[in-house]
Amino acid sequence: MRRILTIASIVWMEMLRRKDIYVLLILLGAMLAGIVSLDIFGLGGVAGYVKDTGLLMAWLFSWIMTVGVSTRELPQEESRGTIFSLLAKPVRRMDLVAGKWLGCWTVAAAATLAFYVLTAVIILLKGGKFSFPVLVQSYFLHAAALSVVAAAGLALSTRLHHDAAAAMTYVATGAAYLILPRVSEFMAGLSGPRGIAMMVLYYMAPHLELFDMRRRFVHSYGPLHWGIFAVILAYGMLFTALLLLVAWLSYRRKRFARGALG
Amino acid sequence: MAAAIETRDLRVVYPSRKGAVTALDGVSLTVPVGTVFGFLGPNGAGKTTTMHVLLGFVAATSGEARLFGADVRRSIARQRIGYLAEHPETYRFLTGRELLRKAGALFLMNGPQIRRRVDDVLRLVDLGEAAERRIATYSRGMLQRIGLAQALINDPDLVILDEPAGGLDPIGRLSIRRIIAGLRERGKTVFFSSHELSEVEMVCDQIAIIAGGRIVAEGAASELVKPGESLEKYFMKVVSGSAEMRA
Repeated sequence: MRRILTIASIVWMEMLRRKDIYVLLILLGAMLAGIVSLDIFGLGGVAGYVKDTGLLMAWLFSWIMTVGVSTRELPQEESRGTIFSLLAKPVRRMDLVAGKWLGCWTVAAAATLAFYVLTAVIILLKGGKFSFPVLVQSYFLHAAALSVVAAAGLALSTRLHHDAAAAMTYVATGAAYLILPRVSEFMAGLSGPRGIAMMVLYYMAPHLELFDMRRRFVHSYGPLHWGIFAVILAYGMLFTALLLLVAWLSYRRKRFARGALG
Repeated sequence: MAAAIETRDLRVVYPSRKGAVTALDGVSLTVPVGTVFGFLGPNGAGKTTTMHVLLGFVAATSGEARLFGADVRRSIARQRIGYLAEHPETYRFLTGRELLRKAGALFLMNGPQIRRRVDDVLRLVDLGEAAERRIATYSRGMLQRIGLAQALINDPDLVILDEPAGGLDPIGRLSIRRIIAGLRERGKTVFFSSHELSEVEMVCDQIAIIAGGRIVAEGAASELVKPGESLEKYFMKVVSGSAEMRA
């Protein structure tokens, strides 16, 4: 476990020193401040509008950040050659994959927490109200979704270059969020192998929309039943574990051979 | 004497579009504990591939390799070794001291052990004053030295060095030679590749020459090289003889 934490801490230090997080936070803050200061359709002062915009931005920025970081870590280790000094130590490939995932996920989750705090402060400043348990549930489910996205990004980056892995992860996770919930509508009209294929896709792919509590937060519907909340968290953990297993299977026999034949 | 490194019939074949490339073709090697072992060969002979197999970066197509008796495919085999790559690359956003602390943590050393060992290796490679600076600001020679420091952080019993003096000035080379001599005095095993044959002659107890993925000579330098002959001349003779045989 200590090796995993050490690898995760290296991801953290890199993120802090590359200043990616600060840029994203400043950008988010500036956009949020700009949007709420505009009185679009006379809605500028409505707290619900601030809630909606704030959480939408948080989802968007955290998704971009998680995909960017998770798909960069492993290919970067190879391209700059640091993988050699890392794997020359008693570090298992599984430790490396798990450490990278933990680092990427916790960085993204921490930045997302800052987004949520910023949004909550702006809502309160605008005189709005919100349910604290709903905000807490929203954040934890959001973090669980980021965990799945980070694991997917890492799994794809074990065999693809950063750009290709990032593009694939954006498409796959974007589709899982936007298209997958609609698949059940198509399934009704399909039969035979196409229907089965669609059903397999529907049940095997992660339903990221389950983690999105924005509507509940914006319209003050009240918190989810804690049992359901726990089941969705467990669903996120299961998919994270499956994707990390795929990443490890793909990475465990990979050959690293810069300067080989020499 | 027990073996620090033992390989038997190692074969590594890289698939390629133009047909398979055989990088190692039955390499069998024994490096006894406590020796300084020079691993020589022309470019493309298989030196780095052999080291990569020993370190688990590349899985052998067939054959076996062991470090202190442990199969190199198991991560525990790397607990007692240190490695310096030919072009040591490291996390340039860290300071020298931070890098060494992280390296110590990967060996599961405890806090006081890490602190003591970091100071020791920084002193050994003469980087004490630059320890708090980001590695991004280090010169080529300093990068080589911080690479060596992280390779020695766990006080390894076996040190694998791939061209340790490559790109260093004469002072840097002398420093590397002194460190290798110091390791030998402490009973450590050093396995290193180099193109600097005069250097190899100075520090090595034993050598092996690899050419075309095969070991073509192995033994004590004093036994292999005839009186009045230089290692360089012997090396050229053996390597060109091997090339003719393959042709």
